[in-house]
This record gives sequence, structure tokens and C-alpha cells, in this order.
Amino acid sequence: MIEPLLPIKTETLYSLSKICWESSNWKQALDVICSEIRPYFIFDNLAVYLYDESHSDLDIAYARATGRGKNKEADVAWGESIISDVIKNNRTILSEPSEEESDRLKRPHILAIPLQSKKAELGVVVIIRFGTPIFTRDHINFAEFMSSQISSMILRQERESMINQLQEHIQTLQIQDDFISTLSHELKNPIGFIKGYTTTLLRQDTSWSIENQNEFLQIIDQETDRLKELIDNLLDSSRFQSGKTTLNIQLLRIDALLNDVISHARIHHPELQINLDIRQELPTLQGDPRRLKQVFDNLVSNAAKYAPGKPLLFRIYKEPQGITIDVKDTGPGIPAKDLEKIFERFYRSEAHNQDTRGSGLGLFICKKIIEAHQGQINATSIPGKGTTIHVFLPFIEM
Amino acid sequence: MTKGTKILVVDDEKLYRHLLEINLDTEGYEVITATNGEECLDLVSKKHPDLVILDVMMPRLDGFSTLERIRQFSEVPVIMLTGKNEEKDRVKGLNSGADDYVAKPFSATELIARVRSVLRRSLSTETSKATRFFEHGDLKIDLARAEIWQDDSPIFLSATEYKLLIQFAHNVGKVLSAEELLSAIWGPQYRQDKEILWVSIARLRQKIEKDPHSPIHIVTRSGLGYLMPPIDALKQ
Repeated sequence: MIEPLLPIKTETLYSLSKICWESSNWKQALDVICSEIRPYFIFDNLAVYLYDESHSDLDIAYARATGRGKNKEADVAWGESIISDVIKNNRTILSEPSEEESDRLKRPHILAIPLQSKKAELGVVVIIRFGTPIFTRDHINFAEFMSSQISSMILRQERESMINQLQEHIQTLQIQDDFISTLSHELKNPIGFIKGYTTTLLRQDTSWSIENQNEFLQIIDQETDRLKELIDNLLDSSRFQSGKTTLNIQLLRIDALLNDVISHARIHHPELQINLDIRQELPTLQGDPRRLKQVFDNLVSNAAKYAPGKPLLFRIYKEPQGITIDVKDTGPGIPAKDLEKIFERFYRSEAHNQDTRGSGLGLFICKKIIEAHQGQINATSIPGKGTTIHVFLPFIEM
Repeated sequence: MTKGTKILVVDDEKLYRHLLEINLDTEGYEVITATNGEECLDLVSKKHPDLVILDVMMPRLDGFSTLERIRQFSEVPVIMLTGKNEEKDRVKGLNSGADDYVAKPFSATELIARVRSVLRRSLSTETSKATRFFEHGDLKIDLARAEIWQDDSPIFLSATEYKLLIQFAHNVGKVLSAEELLSAIWGPQYRQDKEILWVSIARLRQKIEKDPHSPIHIVTRSGLGYLMPPIDALKQ
């Protein structure tokens, strides 16, 4: 019994082609294609075999049972017997069953077509029908046409995903590159000032006034400190980044620790007015006092830098799970778009007054220290009104 | 000889501006400062400095881009301050029209010596003062900002159209052949590709000519090329 292929409408070809070109998921597209081609082309099983990553062997990538044999699962033919012949000969193979077999499910007509483009061999698509009618030349032509469409679709999607991977890779490299360039800029600046002002002092052809000399020496002194701070911060940040920091955990009183930070701040930033607001009796918690001091020192010096002349308020609450410390300034605030990034390494808001200098490491280190205490740190800000840094330290055994 | 010599120092770091200012001041130069590229362009066109010391690493408009824009309208000598003393950067600086470069960190005496040497070269060949704005009838071009105005309303040109217009503006009254224009704007390998020039000139005329069919800014000289006629020719 030979059944001719139904005449294929142009619209059908167009819509099949369109599915292939527009799809971003070839397996879903194949589901649609299977149901679209079935009226023309009765088949029971369809399987797509693709090369594995090493391109040495074929793996099953897609399989659908649509008709007879749907309930037979692995017991019926899926074309695996002839796919290697298709690859070897690089052409379509039609395998016909022997007429003697009476069980239809053991009489598969198997049509196996290579999936390939001009430059790449992708795999094999296998179409199986159990029993009659047999596949005609027209069927084979149509199947070959579809397989070339499917090849292009798979190839295009593979390339798209490769491009995405490459873009991600490039982005990672870009971040590393920016990191190195920011780093060298930050390190070179203090060195540039030290070199510049020292050679200015050393100029043979000029005699500087005592005031000038003092000014230059002060700049050199400050820049030396800055360089040391920068190197310390860098070492800290790389230790935290690689997880090599160990905390020296002790039982501590956070109010006593903050009092220390504040009296230290009064020496270093005498102009800064700092208020401490403790609402209730605070229990002790576990933490590394030196590291936690480092966090609050940093927050104080940020306030002195970015909200100069404005009072700074420490407000401490006891919560069920831990202690929250809010550090609130009334400075210019941080634009919303920068707020979530300020804890990233080397991030500096562009909104800064251009004469304030920072390495973009301080808050990154604060975050790492608080996270090492299993706590949280984040910021809220209203531009023009001020910024609050919220630190939460949990009561836990460490 | 340094009396009245004006130097513009452009750096986003206050301590560098201060460092350059105090050192150049002892040499008797008048020093003005800018903290970014935009400010620099403004001061170059308004204050006509005799020398610009320009930092490369600045946020937003960096030193190289600033220099490129300066060179659209001014031949003022420029010393670049580079962070990286790499050949790539030096070549880039010199190619974009810098007269010299000094790598950070630098010593005060080295910098002064460079300034003297660049000034000595440039003061002996007196250059014409910068003209930032070019006018042609109802058209006005701000060369520093690459902006075009017609009767005070802005005209938006593509990068190619702008380059084409600038070629004419720099050669007023001179007939430019298709080959010359193609080679200057698209590159020598496009010298024969006349159709892209025709399309570009037609599109440019649509934007800058009140009547694109009888153009006054870019006129065709059949068989020879195109020209921007001298302004007096416009008035007749």
C-alpha cells in the first residue's frame, strides 16, 4: 500500500520555516513541528541524536512517541541501530522491515537523515513508523527539507549560547581589568604626590618659605599615611576575598566598643559631633572587637569625609535575634542608583565632590567583616537629607 | 620671557593642580586651572592659554578625547600627563596631537624643563589664536563640542556627515574632489566609491540647506568636485 504525500501548502512550509528561525528553544520548536507535519507524514516515533561535547559519539537529545508504540517505551525501535551508518555514509538511509514479521511494532520503517550544515555535522534525526504505509520518495524529500531547517535552528541556538558565554567571559575579564587599572591608579596617586612635593622641596633654584615647606611636608606625611592605609585595606580585602581571614572571637559589649570608637573619633575628627543613643540594656554578643572597631571607625571617617560639619548619630537597638546599630548622618545623601553598589569593591559614587578621595575599599571591607560575623550591613539614604548605614549583629555562638 | 605666558593645568586631583601651580608660579608663568575636560575646552577657547598641561585619567571626558576636541579648533601646545608610561599610551598621545608627555610620578624639575622646552619651540613659531566657532551664512559650528546651529536651532548630523561638513569648513573656497573627500573621510580604500559620497552629500544638504535643490553651503562643480563658497560669495 503506497500512500502519496499530501500536497504541502506553501503556508505550511512557511510556518515550519518560521518556527525554526524564530524559536529560542529547539526542543519546544520540535514539539510544534511534530504536530504540524504529522498530517502529511504519519510517524510513530521521532528521535534526534546529537554529537556529545567531544564530538566522538552520538547522544540522544530529543525523542517523542506520537502513535503506535507509545505504551511500549524502551521496547520498540528508536533507530539506534542505523544512526552510525548514516554518519559513516553521510546520507539518508531508509531501513525497511521484513514482510514476514506479523507484529507491527516489530516491523519498523526507519528513515534516518543526517543533521548537518555546510561546515558542521550535528547528528542524526530518525523518523520511525511501525508497519505500513511505507515512506515514499516525496516523504523522504520533505523529511530532508525539514532536517536542514532543524539543523540550522540547532546550530543557530548553539552559537547564540556560545556568544552569551563569551560575553560573560569578556565581562569577567573587563571587571578584572578595571580592578587592576583602578588599583594602579589608586596606588600611583599618593606616590605621585610624594614624588612631586619632595622634588618641589628639593628644587635648587627656589627657596620656599617656611609655610610652604610645612605645607609640602604635611602633604607628603598625609600621602604616606594614605598609602599605608591603602595597602592595609588591599591586603584586608584580598584576605576576605579569598576567605583567609580568621576572626578573633570574644564575648564583647557593643556599647563599650562604640564608646571606644567615639572617643577615638573625637581625637581624629575633633570637628565631628557624635551622639550615641542607646535605648535599653544591651546583652553581650560574640565578635572580633578589633574588626568590629574597624567597621565603625570606617563609618565615622566616611561621615567626616562625605558629610563634613554634620552631626553623626549612633542609635542602638536590641532585637530578638541580635543588635542593630544605625549610623545616621545628615549629609548630602547617596543617589538611589549608587546605593546598592557602595559595598562593592572599588565602587565610588560619581556624585562625590571631586576633592574627596577614597579607595572604594572601605565599605567593601566593612561588609566582609559584618558577613564574617553572620550579620548584615546595608544603607538607606534620602538625597539632600542624609544616609543611614544599618548594621545587624546576631546573637550566635561562633 | 615667561612674563605673560599663560599655562592651563587640567587635572581632576586637587593636589596635582596645586603642585603644578606652585612650581610654575615660581617660573613667572600665569597659571589657570580646570578640573575636567569640559572646563578645559571652555578655558582654551576663552582665555587662549599658551600651553595646556592635560591629565589623561579623568572621569567622563578623558585627556585623549579632550585633546581631540581641542585640536578641532586650536593648535595650542599640549603636554599630556600620563599615568602609564607605556609605549601604547605615548604613541596614542602623540598621535592625537600632543606635543610632549610626562609620566606620573614626575619630578618638579623634570616637568619645568619639559614646559620650557615645549614653550620654546612653540613661541618661536607663533600660531594663530584659536577660533572655536566657524560661521558660514546661517550655519554656525562649535568645533569644540561638535555642534551645528542654523539660525540658533541645533542641527543633528551623523558622525560621517559632521566629518564631511568639517572638511568643507576647513577648505572654504576650495574645490574638493570626490577622491579627496572619500579618502579623507572613509579612508583611501574607498577612493572610488563615489556613490556613498553622493548619498552623504545629498543627506547633508537635506539637513543644512534651506533649499537642498539650490544649495548655498555645499555647491557642486560638475566634473571637478564640491566646494563651500567663500562667505562674500554668499552675500551676493
